[in-house]
Amino acid sequence: MSEEKKSNPEAQHSQERTVDKTVLIKNEEDSAKISGKDFSFRKYAWKQFKKNKPAYFSLYILAFLLVLALLAPILANERPLYMKYQGQTFFPAFSFANNYHIKNSKTGIEENIQLDLVEWKRMNLESVIWAPITWSPGKSDRYNRNYVGPNDPQRFIDRKGDTLYMPARFKHLLGTNESGEDVLAGLIHGGRVSLSIGFLSMGIASILGLFLGALAGYFGDTRLQTTRAKFWMVIIGIPLAWFYAFSFRSFTLKDAMAHSGSSFLLQLIISILVFSLVIFIFSKLGKLFSKGKKLGQFVYVPVDSIISRSIEILNSIPTLILILSLASLAKEESIVYVMVIIGLTSWTGIARFTRAEFLRIRSMDYIQAAQAMGFKESRIIFRHALLNGMAPSLVSIAFGIAGAILIESSLSFLGIGVPKDLVTWGKLLSQGKDNFHAWWLIVFPGIAIFITVTAYNLIGDGLRDALDPKLKR
Amino acid sequence: MLKYISKRIFVFIPTLFVISLMAFVISINSPGDPVESLYSGVKEKPGTFNANTSHEKQLLRHRLGLDLPVFYFTIGSLASPDTIYKVFDSNKKNAIERLIDQYGNWNSINAWLKALESITKKINSVAPDSVAYAQQGIEITNQHVDEARQEIYALSVCYEEVVISSKLSKLQKMMAAESSLGNHSPLYFLHKALPSCRQSFEDMKVNSSQWKNWIPCIRFYGYNQYHRWIFGDGNWLTGKGWGNTEGIIRGDFGTSFATKQAVTKTITRAIPWSLFFTIMSVFLAYLISIPIGIRAAEKRGSVFDHGSSVVLFMLYSTAIFFMATLLLLLFANPAVFNIFPANGVKPATGYPDGISLWGKFKITLPYLILPLACYTYSSFAFLSRTMRVSMLEVISQDYIRTAKAKGLSNYLVIYKHALRNALLPIITVFANIFPAAVGGAVIIEVIFGIPGMGQEIFQAISSKDYPMIVCVFSLSGFLTLIGYLVADILYAVVDPRITYSK
Repeated sequence: MSEEKKSNPEAQHSQERTVDKTVLIKNEEDSAKISGKDFSFRKYAWKQFKKNKPAYFSLYILAFLLVLALLAPILANERPLYMKYQGQTFFPAFSFANNYHIKNSKTGIEENIQLDLVEWKRMNLESVIWAPITWSPGKSDRYNRNYVGPNDPQRFIDRKGDTLYMPARFKHLLGTNESGEDVLAGLIHGGRVSLSIGFLSMGIASILGLFLGALAGYFGDTRLQTTRAKFWMVIIGIPLAWFYAFSFRSFTLKDAMAHSGSSFLLQLIISILVFSLVIFIFSKLGKLFSKGKKLGQFVYVPVDSIISRSIEILNSIPTLILILSLASLAKEESIVYVMVIIGLTSWTGIARFTRAEFLRIRSMDYIQAAQAMGFKESRIIFRHALLNGMAPSLVSIAFGIAGAILIESSLSFLGIGVPKDLVTWGKLLSQGKDNFHAWWLIVFPGIAIFITVTAYNLIGDGLRDALDPKLKR
Repeated sequence: MLKYISKRIFVFIPTLFVISLMAFVISINSPGDPVESLYSGVKEKPGTFNANTSHEKQLLRHRLGLDLPVFYFTIGSLASPDTIYKVFDSNKKNAIERLIDQYGNWNSINAWLKALESITKKINSVAPDSVAYAQQGIEITNQHVDEARQEIYALSVCYEEVVISSKLSKLQKMMAAESSLGNHSPLYFLHKALPSCRQSFEDMKVNSSQWKNWIPCIRFYGYNQYHRWIFGDGNWLTGKGWGNTEGIIRGDFGTSFATKQAVTKTITRAIPWSLFFTIMSVFLAYLISIPIGIRAAEKRGSVFDHGSSVVLFMLYSTAIFFMATLLLLLFANPAVFNIFPANGVKPATGYPDGISLWGKFKITLPYLILPLACYTYSSFAFLSRTMRVSMLEVISQDYIRTAKAKGLSNYLVIYKHALRNALLPIITVFANIFPAAVGGAVIIEVIFGIPGMGQEIFQAISSKDYPMIVCVFSLSGFLTLIGYLVADILYAVVDPRITYSK
């Protein structure tokens, strides 16, 4: 068996997160399949994943939610998608202008339509195509205020000013909240917030987690060697780099922040470049000094200890309290800020998984081969090892997205850190908390959160089972 | 064992240090001025002057230790002096820092600031004489003085050359407008002071030494805000001789902005509730989840196994606030079931007089059930799943097969041989559950109106009460560390293979 493996280096290489030898030996039939020529671990894992019906089904749910979120402005919009008015055609739902200036060619009457104020449903339109849900989030229907339920009679005032029952086409299918905003429209648009929170915050967290976990696992405490001079030069360089990058440029950064977000980002990137440049110069200087017995002696950088310790510290502060405290520092409430905070505090799980994986990978043959070929460490880590070591952290990322969505909805439920005019699932639910009569405000957003979180959790579960052959049933 | 515990505690010290640093960073970066938040006197507009309030605020600032440097060291430039932290008006401080950034010559900037200070002092102590009042009328004279005062204040918070020179010429004009009064004018002192002011401004422009900004300079301060915050303002070790604060190592977290009382006072009222719910819920979660996990593993593939894992998975994915609101909707709602009270931990009117402890307990019990259910369910779902997996792993081991082959009863095999080993992973997750319980408490306590730490931090954040935020932050970190320690000790108790006597 082992000979077969040796004779087939290509397969071995493509095995990526290779299956444990013990498992291979245990099951002869499986091993034959696994060590076959066209074996790829990715394919194998995908096959395993597909076998897990709930997880596979969750992928479809997720795709559905994604489509809903992407198409939200078309799916739920009070403005018609298309309309014909006074002989002219308009596409208000896709319009960026806030004003239509309309002149009737026959009567010569001029009319000004303000897109955000006009009551579209009472207009005398010649022909119209409405969005599937004819309400926008955050826009109140003033005839159906004070928690009108899905089954309650809903009022509609027509063009003549008569009060009617709501036509089926315009009905608030899931009711309204206190100020008469449509719940279904809020749910569809709130999904955008939840999904983007999940993706962006976990994007930040995975970059951080993968990077730090890879460094910790690959180098450990005894693998990153450097000369004593270089080590100390870099240590000295850090405060200097800080000075030139941030202290010296503090007013430039402050002014940029006052100006606009993008200019701040630009200045921040410049600062980070300056920081790295100073560190780089100092490390080169250190290389120059690395002569003689004392200065040229090799020392180890305890990368693993530093990173593991910071993971431990970050874990020892309750996440929600940490995020709440950080969110309280924000001068203005912004969803981007919430994303960044969640991202910066939730990388530890991913880092731990990646670290464990790298501890295993670093002693594998192909890494040693790469080292023997004289590749740079950075190339080995990021081009050879990282892709192979990413698989287990996928599990953590999937669970992390679920967690991020829960945290964001908790924050908006509590009303902390999330801007007031943004409609989110948590906020809808918190409106229901004040009035139990309005059960639709509790049940529907709650179910939306539940479905999304469950889908991610199921995917995480499925990934774990698929990627870890030891747990195979 | 004792050695092991003391070693663990020793490891906590750097963690505690970093937690305290993070809390400190939060507290010094908090928007707004703590003196303004704590000052209970009349709020005044900037530019007006009241010797009394100013003095009181200065005292308050000293009492809060805000006249100290922030940390043990600062990384600044050679151009900036090492006493800039003494400026307490944040607008003025900003202006001075900008001036340093522009000109880099502290001596001439200092001369300019001194000139400004003397002119400010003069305008604050100016007393219009009766001649001025008689000629101009009281109202107009006072108005002129106020305008000049505001102009001078504006001068001390601006830093752009154009603005400064325009303000100077504006003062010049004000002075000129009153020239008919001669030396009876309340602004007469400007005749002397303004030219020297202008001179020092010109000096500052000419003597610019920008290069000093390029040279870094690290300054060290032994006694600073962080040190004072941690160790108090007395002896750092014994705390003797403290005046305003004992430091957080002796449990002094300062004064709340909202209640103007010691933070610790509020927290000591809140902590027992949080601890009660957290410990109770973790205990209950273990109590329920272990049998469920065992049973599911024992009868693997049965209806119970499948059913329980589906239910547990759903519970695990349910948002805590959704569950809490649902429970309230179902069980504390007159329209459905009105079994439990919706809010608080005791009747709003308080306990009846002369009631025994048992009576109090009986009254409080219905208030506790829904929150406890919420506290418990999420960790218990997680625990059961972990228990099931670890039990499955243990059951497939050889020694269990041996035990069965020996003819031991199923009960003995499971509870005597398998359980102890299967418990190991479930104890390690104690370290994960504990912080989750402390943090998750925020939502539950807010929804159910429990006066615990979560409720406190929620209110503190709503009212921007930073001492309270910092206190809850540090304490929850501390509690979590204790949770870790307990997990470690439990681990040693359950697993005889671990000796810890290395």
